[in-house]
Amino acid sequence: MTTTLKKMGALVLASAVTFSMLSSQAFANGAIGDHVNNLHAHLGEYTEEVHWLEEKFGSVVDAYEAKDKSVKSDALIEYWEEVDFHSAIETQYVPIYASIWQGIYGVKMAIDEGKPVDAVRVEQENLNHALWQALGAVKLAAQYQKKGLVNKVQTTAKEPTTGPEVIDDIKTRLDRVVAKYAEQLHEVATTLVHDTYLQRFEGVEGDLIAKDAALVEDLEKDFNVTLPQAISKDTGVDAVRKVVESMQVKLDRARALLVEVEQSRKDVF
Amino acid sequence: MQRRTFLQGLAAAGALSGLPFGLAQAMTQTGSVSVESLPKLEGELTLYLGRGEGGLYENVLKAIEKRNPKLNLKVRRGGSAALANTIVAETKAGVKRADLFWAVDTGSIGVVTDAGAAKPLPNDLRSQLREDFQYPSWSPVTGRVRTLPYNTERVKPEQIPESVMALADSDLKVGWAPAYSSFQSFVTAMRILEGDKATKAWLKGINKHAKKYAGELGVVMGVERGEVDIGFANHYYTLRLKSGKPNANVALAYSKGDAGCLVNASGIVALSEGDLPVNFIRYLLSQEVQSYLAREAYEIPLVQGVEQPQGLASLSTLSPPEMDLRKLADLRPTLNLMREVGVL
Repeated sequence: MTTTLKKMGALVLASAVTFSMLSSQAFANGAIGDHVNNLHAHLGEYTEEVHWLEEKFGSVVDAYEAKDKSVKSDALIEYWEEVDFHSAIETQYVPIYASIWQGIYGVKMAIDEGKPVDAVRVEQENLNHALWQALGAVKLAAQYQKKGLVNKVQTTAKEPTTGPEVIDDIKTRLDRVVAKYAEQLHEVATTLVHDTYLQRFEGVEGDLIAKDAALVEDLEKDFNVTLPQAISKDTGVDAVRKVVESMQVKLDRARALLVEVEQSRKDVF
Repeated sequence: MQRRTFLQGLAAAGALSGLPFGLAQAMTQTGSVSVESLPKLEGELTLYLGRGEGGLYENVLKAIEKRNPKLNLKVRRGGSAALANTIVAETKAGVKRADLFWAVDTGSIGVVTDAGAAKPLPNDLRSQLREDFQYPSWSPVTGRVRTLPYNTERVKPEQIPESVMALADSDLKVGWAPAYSSFQSFVTAMRILEGDKATKAWLKGINKHAKKYAGELGVVMGVERGEVDIGFANHYYTLRLKSGKPNANVALAYSKGDAGCLVNASGIVALSEGDLPVNFIRYLLSQEVQSYLAREAYEIPLVQGVEQPQGLASLSTLSPPEMDLRKLADLRPTLNLMREVGVL
């Protein structure tokens, strides 16, 4: 996971604005309010929350190491759901949001399975890494937000209206599939894949067929077979993320083709 | 001009008497009308738009807005079925928010017309449409037909039965996509036309010599590669594939008078009284918009006199089954049947 996180860190720096704009929709578990639309005013609070989470997660692992029988791994989820930082990262950069859930379940399952404490500490380190990386992403997003370069997070989703916009929306939705899978919400993740295919991809595949039919066929298989199977067979977050990343590369190609289609299209009247 | 159309023109003459001669004349003619002769749209309209062919419907709306700067068009977008349910709920609550509803499938249109929310359309508008597609309270915009794409190297046209039901007993290797929504609509039509028992037997029969694909483009490409002899798919997959690869080893066959050549349609409903919603619909039925959707989306124009997409048999030579397309919304029994047989 560390490699993936490093890669994501680079991605945050390279494309935070893009991702922020794309994810500015009402998906957050928490309420949409000032804490996500005025990030800059809340950075101090978020930094405190990350410190607090690191300490709380650490206390759970410490108790496990001390063989404290009252230790409850569910507390890890409760701590995470308690903080406003949760919505801040979920609305700004979904891939790291997914990594946080992956980290939380990594620690939780290692404890539940009674693994050696060293193995639990490795998972804890991954989780802490994701938290700090998320804080970095939120700080960067706050800068762009302050300069007015990103849209406000809305309480209702805006429908994409052009082919390239649809592809951008599909990529964001696929990030969310990984997040929901990492959150152990497998049915939600599978439904999201199906909805994304029916409500988004089906609308643009027509234009793509004449340009690259093999690409469309490949993506149809990814949407209808490869990704749902990766989820239903519970292949793990890294495996599901790998499928999604592979689809996103194909979608980038699709986006470029749709831009060409739009440019060559004749006027209606 | 045919007698029936002429009489319709006379009936509308009173309402049209205040219009310029050219426009009045255009509106009393059957067939397509150019936007040049349509009235300018002025005022506020709210359109509920079901998701359609990528950005093509959006391009049509933008073009209409550009041509009519005094039109204030507000668009609410969503899935056709969800928007239909919203309209019904708003109607029951006595809250009218939409003036028009443009849906990609006839089932959603049926939900709205059954609820009594649709306003009647004038005869002169309806008479522009092909005779089989004229309805009192909604207007089809474009159509799509179920087809049998076949591999031209492996199959001769005479080997293909005219009845889609007969394919279950043939020795042709079939490609299908049971999980695909268009295929499920086709099976729904078969269930309505032939009954559950015959449909179940057909599914079982086909399943014995079928290869499953994720989607219907996959079916067409499987046919083209020769993995299967023939498949089930909407017409535009093959036409689009051929436009990118003219020498592709695939051609279209059509069954006769059954679900295998069902024509489904996108459609529009006026939800408010007055000229403005109706005149907006006239733009969608104009020569230019119909040709645009045929050219860019390979959809079938349903207005008389507009050329079909290249590579598709003339609609007048096809024999789609007679059925109320609005019934296609009844999908649940179809899915139950397909699961029972084990194809889903």
